[in-house]
Amino acid sequence: MLATDLGVKETLVAPWMDWAARYTQGRRLLEAGTYALTEGAIAAGCRVFAGYPITPATDIAEYMSKRLPQVGGYYVQCEDELAGMHACAGASLGGLKAMTATSGPGYTLMHDAYGWAITNEIPLVVVDAMRVGPISGITGAPGQGEFYIARYASHGGNFETIVLSPASVQEAFWLTVDAFNLAERFRTPVTILTDQVISDMWEDLFIPDDYGALDFVVPRKHNLAMPFYPVGSDALDVPPNVVGHGTGVCVSAYTHTEEGYDIEEMEAQWAQTYRLVNKIRHHRDQLARYETLGLEDADVIAVAYGANARTVKTGVLETRRRGVRAGFVRLITLWPFLDELFERDCRYLVCELNYDGQLVREVTRAAPDKRKVHFMGKSAELHTVAEVVAGLSGIAAAGRIPELPYIWTEVR
Amino acid sequence: MNRLAKKYLRPSQIPTKACHGCGIGMIENWLLQALDELDLKQEDVIFGTGIGCVGRQTFATWGGDNFGATHGRALAVATGLKLAQPDKKYLIVVGDGDAASIGTSHLIHAARRNLGVTVICEDNMGYESTGGQFSPTTPAGYVTNSSPYGMVEPGFDPCDVVMAAGATFVAETTATQWHQTVKVVRKALQNDGFSFVHVRFPCNENFGAYALGTRDTVKNLEWIYEHTQGRKTDGSETDFAWETGVKRDASNSRPEFSRLLRDMNARVRADMAAKAQAKAS
Repeated sequence: MLATDLGVKETLVAPWMDWAARYTQGRRLLEAGTYALTEGAIAAGCRVFAGYPITPATDIAEYMSKRLPQVGGYYVQCEDELAGMHACAGASLGGLKAMTATSGPGYTLMHDAYGWAITNEIPLVVVDAMRVGPISGITGAPGQGEFYIARYASHGGNFETIVLSPASVQEAFWLTVDAFNLAERFRTPVTILTDQVISDMWEDLFIPDDYGALDFVVPRKHNLAMPFYPVGSDALDVPPNVVGHGTGVCVSAYTHTEEGYDIEEMEAQWAQTYRLVNKIRHHRDQLARYETLGLEDADVIAVAYGANARTVKTGVLETRRRGVRAGFVRLITLWPFLDELFERDCRYLVCELNYDGQLVREVTRAAPDKRKVHFMGKSAELHTVAEVVAGLSGIAAAGRIPELPYIWTEVR
Repeated sequence: MNRLAKKYLRPSQIPTKACHGCGIGMIENWLLQALDELDLKQEDVIFGTGIGCVGRQTFATWGGDNFGATHGRALAVATGLKLAQPDKKYLIVVGDGDAASIGTSHLIHAARRNLGVTVICEDNMGYESTGGQFSPTTPAGYVTNSSPYGMVEPGFDPCDVVMAAGATFVAETTATQWHQTVKVVRKALQNDGFSFVHVRFPCNENFGAYALGTRDTVKNLEWIYEHTQGRKTDGSETDFAWETGVKRDASNSRPEFSRLLRDMNARVRADMAAKAQAKAS
C-alpha cells in the first residue's frame, strides 16, 4: 500500500533526495546495511577506520579492512573502542577523514574520546549499531537504548551533538556521506545511530560508479592560521585544524583559548561553551532530516526512527486505510531534536525499541499537550503492524492504547 | 630563557605552573638538548602528552604542533596521527599514571606494533597533581596520602612491560643523570619505531613530603641518586635499587607500524592494477 493510494501527503526532507536524483550511473546490488555504511564512508573520503570488533558492527570493520587499502587508506584494529575513537581523532587531526563503528558496550567506552573530539572540534563519524541491553544484552537483537547517550556522549555538559539514524540499507549509504559532510562543516563528531536490523539486513542498494565525481562531498580543508578555536563564535564551515603542518596548533582536554592554550578563567569557559553549543543550535535549519506522512489532517501521529519506523509506517498506512486519520513522523536527525515536527496539537504515539521510554520524553517535551503523548515500547523486536494499528486505533477511538502483550506503555 | 628554550618552546607558556623544585622543567630541557644535538627543527616534531603533573606542565610549552590527550590516551591518539603524518618525529611525554596505569594497554600495543614514537615516561612515583596518592610505580611499603600505612601492592616496572611487548628501544634513567638522559633520548629518537625512556624524578610537595619526609629538593634528588647507586651516602645499602641505562637497543630492527600499513597498501594496489591490466589485455 502506498501513501498516494490513500491520498495523503508524504515528505522526505534530506539532502540525498537531490543526490540520488542527480547520480544515477552506478551498480545495483543486494547488500547489507554494514556494506552500505562502509561504502558511504569510502565515497565520503574516509581513509582511516580504527575500531574493535563487536556484533552487529563487526562487518563494517571487516569491509573496511578490505576496502581501505584499495583506496590508500588505513584499517587499524585497536586494543579497545576507547583507543579506536582516539586513534580516529588523531588521524582526523593529521588531516585524514576517519570513522569508527561499534555497538552499545563499545559505545560507552568512547565517551572519553567523544569529549576530547567535541571540545577540540575534530570531525569524525561514529556508527553505533544498537542492540538490546543493558551491557551485552542479546547481541543479535535490535535496541534503541542510546537515544540520550548519543546526545550526552560526554560528561561535563556545555556542548551539542549531531546524531542521525537511517531506516534502510540505501539510506544508510547516503546518510553516511551526509554524516561526513556535517562533521566537516560543523567540526564535530557525528554519530550514526543505527540498529542491529538495519546493519545486518540485506536490501537493494544503488551505489554510484565514480566516487571522485560526487560534487556534494565536502572535502577536507585545513585551518592554517589563528584563531584555531573561534570561541564565542557560531560560525559554520570553519576549516578543521591540522597537526603536522607547523601551525603551532594546541589540542588538549582542557578549556581552551582561541590558540588552544589551557585556561582556568570563567570567561574562557563561557566563550568555549558558546562555540560548542551555538555552532549547532544556531544552524538547526541545516540539520533537519525527516520523513512525514499525513500530518496535514492527522488526529494521531505515530513517531519512530530506525528499523522500527518501517513496521510503524506500514501500521500507519493500514490504520489510514481503515478510516482513522493517522499520521507518521520518522526522525532521521535525532539530535538536535526537531521540535518543529511536533507543533500539531493532536495525539502522538511514540514507538521505540525499549521499555523505559526515551524518545517519548523528548516528544512529550516538544508536543503542545503532554497528556496526549502515548508510549508504545517494545523490547528486542520490532513492533508488528497489527500492534501499531491497534495502538493508533485505540488512541483515535478512546484516547488510550488497548492492553497488548509485550508492549509497555508507562513512562512515568 | 635559555638558548634551547628560545629555539623550541613557546615563550608565553613558560615558565610552567610547576611547583618549586619540580623536575619536569629540568627534564624537558634535557629533551630539548637531545633534539638540538640531532639538529631537529620545531616543525620536525609533534609533541604529545597526557594528564597529570607531566601533562599539565608540558602541554603547550612546545613551540610547534602539540596535543594533550585525555588521561592515558596520548598513544591512542598518536596511533591515528602517525598514519596521517608519518614523517614527523613524535615526542610523547607522559607521567606514570598515563603510561603505567590508565593507559598501559595503549603502551603495550604501541610497543607491539612498533609505532614510530618516542615515549618519555616522567615518573614522580605517584599521583602528585591530585595530592599524592600511590601509583603502580610507587615503591612497595612507602607512605603516600592513599597508603597511610605503606603501599601494600607490589611495584611495577613499565620498562619490563614494553620490553615484553616488543619495544625496539628501552632505557631507564633518573633526574640525577643529565648526560645519560640526553644520550638515551637521542638514541631513542633515532629509532624509527617504538622507543621508551623511563625517567624517575622527585616530587617535593607530595612524594617527598609524605614518603620521604622532606620538601627539600636536594634531599629528594639525593634519595633518587642513592637508589640509582644502591648505596646511601653513608655507605650502607639502600632498601632497593633501580637499574638504569639502556635496557634494549634493537633500533630499526623491524619495520615501523605506519610503514607496514603503507607497504601493504602499495602491495594491494599493485595487485589491483595488475589484475585490471590482465583483464584489459
